[in-house]
Amino acid sequence: MTWISKSTTFFGLVLLAHACYSAQEHSALQSFRTTSVVSPSSPGTTAVSLPIDISLETLVATAIICFGLALGTPPLRPIQWRVWAGKIEREGEEGFMNADGEVSRDYVGNPFKMLETRPGFVDIRRQRKEFAEWVRSSDERGEVQG
Amino acid sequence: MPTEKDYQISPVVQESIAHNSRTLFNYQSLTASLFGVCAGILGLESYAGFLFYIIATLSTCFLFYALRVAPTSIPAGKAPLDTSRYFRGAFEFWTSGLSGGLAGFILTWTLFYGLVRA
Repeated sequence: MTWISKSTTFFGLVLLAHACYSAQEHSALQSFRTTSVVSPSSPGTTAVSLPIDISLETLVATAIICFGLALGTPPLRPIQWRVWAGKIEREGEEGFMNADGEVSRDYVGNPFKMLETRPGFVDIRRQRKEFAEWVRSSDERGEVQG
Repeated sequence: MPTEKDYQISPVVQESIAHNSRTLFNYQSLTASLFGVCAGILGLESYAGFLFYIIATLSTCFLFYALRVAPTSIPAGKAPLDTSRYFRGAFEFWTSGLSGGLAGFILTWTLFYGLVRA
């Protein structure tokens, strides 16, 4: 989704630059006219307002850039602990991508890791049985080979 | 106003609050400078410029809400315009951009006003 945001912002910036150049040219032209044309009937014409198309282009460009920038912001994260932990449990790393598709640096991983790796939860009897079976099988293999 | 007991029953994640506030602040600073450019090109002066800034900043708040907050907070059962899923205070969300981006706004406003009407 990031190229949509970038291209929208770029398009808006081009429009804004064009509007800025147009406004600058317009004001330069106005000041040139007021100085060159010597007409005492209309002395104070310096305060000519901007043409409506330049104003509209400026406003539209600003709206487009705002939209593009808002599309480019990274997704927000829930602040309530249970909602946040549930999101991590459900989506894992995919829920914490930034705009470039990388996992963000302050992603902490499973919030229940501390509970799941607690040494008190290790089933030591089953592990001892598995180890004994592994020793027995390696002994048998050794006898077959030897 | 939630008390300390409420925060112990349903705790909040400080990293998420910081991330969300930073995201909103970056967005508001960028758009405030952009509004300065726009106001300078349009040639707004005095109160008109500040009025433009206030209106534009509030509308970017709505845009940010519609694009980033609403798509996930309304299915989660929050009321419309309720930002409590991502931000602690609603007032902070809707008005933080006004003070945060004012300096950038005035900077680019005066710069582009001077550039265009040289």
